[in-house]
Amino acid sequence: MLRLTRVLGHATEPQLAETLHRLEHGGTVERLKLSRADTARKRLHAFTDRGTEVGVMLDRSEQLSNGAVLLLEPTRAIVVALEEPQWLALAPRDAAAALELGYFCGNMHWKVRFAGEYLHVSLEGPRETYLERLAHLVANGSISVIGDD
Amino acid sequence: MNDINANAIPAASRERPSTAARVGIGGPVGSGKTALLEQLIPRFLARGTDLAVITNDIATKEDAERVRRSGLIAPERVLAVETGACPHSAIREDPTLNMQSADDLDRRFPGLELILIESGGDNLASSFSLDLVDYWLFVIDVAGGDDIPRKRGLGVLSCDLLVINKTDLAPYVRVDLPRMVREANEVRKGKPVLLTNCAIGDGVDAVVEQIAREVLFDR
Repeated sequence: MLRLTRVLGHATEPQLAETLHRLEHGGTVERLKLSRADTARKRLHAFTDRGTEVGVMLDRSEQLSNGAVLLLEPTRAIVVALEEPQWLALAPRDAAAALELGYFCGNMHWKVRFAGEYLHVSLEGPRETYLERLAHLVANGSISVIGDD
Repeated sequence: MNDINANAIPAASRERPSTAARVGIGGPVGSGKTALLEQLIPRFLARGTDLAVITNDIATKEDAERVRRSGLIAPERVLAVETGACPHSAIREDPTLNMQSADDLDRRFPGLELILIESGGDNLASSFSLDLVDYWLFVIDVAGGDDIPRKRGLGVLSCDLLVINKTDLAPYVRVDLPRMVREANEVRKGKPVLLTNCAIGDGVDAVVEQIAREVLFDR
C-alpha cells in the first residue's frame, strides 16, 4: 500500500499543472476518484483508477478536494478526481406539498439544493433507497420525480 | 521531456501525519458499544497502537468512568463528552464538543495514532459526521431483533462497518442469525458486516483488523 500523507497542492497551480501536463503525456497520472462526502475524511483506504492501493492519511488541517495532488514523482502522480454529484429532482404539486417535502428532507438530513420550482436531493447512496423513503409522497401525488415517467 | 525540478516541488510525503485517525462507534442503547470498546482497547494496545478514547453520554460520565475504572487504558487517555440532549446531535449536526476533545487528545499525547469515539446510545437513524470521524462502526445486536437490518435505518445503511453483536444469544431470542446476516449484506450492498460476541471477545480481532486496514495503514 502506498501511503499518501500530504496535499502537495492543486492541479491548477501553474507549477504543478506544468509537471502534471508532462506526466499526462506519458500516461502516468493516476486519478483517485472520490465522492463529495469522502473528501471530508482525513483517512481513506482506496484504489486509484490504475489499481494502485493507497492509504490517505492527512493532518486534520488538510482538505481533500477535486484536483488535490497527493503524489508527485518524476514518473508518476496521483490526483483526486471528484465524482460528479448525483441529484434526484423532485417537483412538489403545490405550496403545501413543497412545505411537506422540505420538512421531510430536513428530517432525513438530506442535502438539497433549490432549483426554481424543483427540489434537488443529493444522492449519497443508491437512488432506490431515496425513492423508497419518498414513496408515500409520490403515492399521494404530493410530489413527482422528474425524469421518471 | 524536462526533468522535474525537485527543489521547486513540495516534499512528496512524510512518515505520518501529526494527528490521530478518528473512528466512531455508534448504535442503539444496549447493543454493546462500550463492551466492544473494552474488547478493542487491549487488542489495539497489544499491537502497539497509541490509543485514546472519547465517550458520549447524555447527562453523565458513566461510560467514561466505566472505561477508566477498567484498568485497560491510562485514565487520562479517556475523555467524556456530556451531550446534554440527543446523542446524535453531538456526532452529526454539531460535533464541536467531540472535535474539541479529539483535538485536545492530539495535543496532549504527541504520537497518538487512534482515537475511538463512542456515541451515546441512540436509534437506528443515528450516524456520524465525516467532519468528526474518518471511519465509523454501527453496532446492533441480535437481541434487538433480526428485523433490524430490514428496517434500513440510516446507521445500518451508511456506516463503514456494521457489527452484529451478542451472536451467542441468537438461539435464546429466537433469531435466525444467518438470515439476519444475509439481509444485512443485502441492504448494505457489499459494505462490510462482522459478527461479534463482545462478552468473551469472539470476532473482535476481525474488527481490529478492519479498522487497522482502513485507517491506520501501519502494517
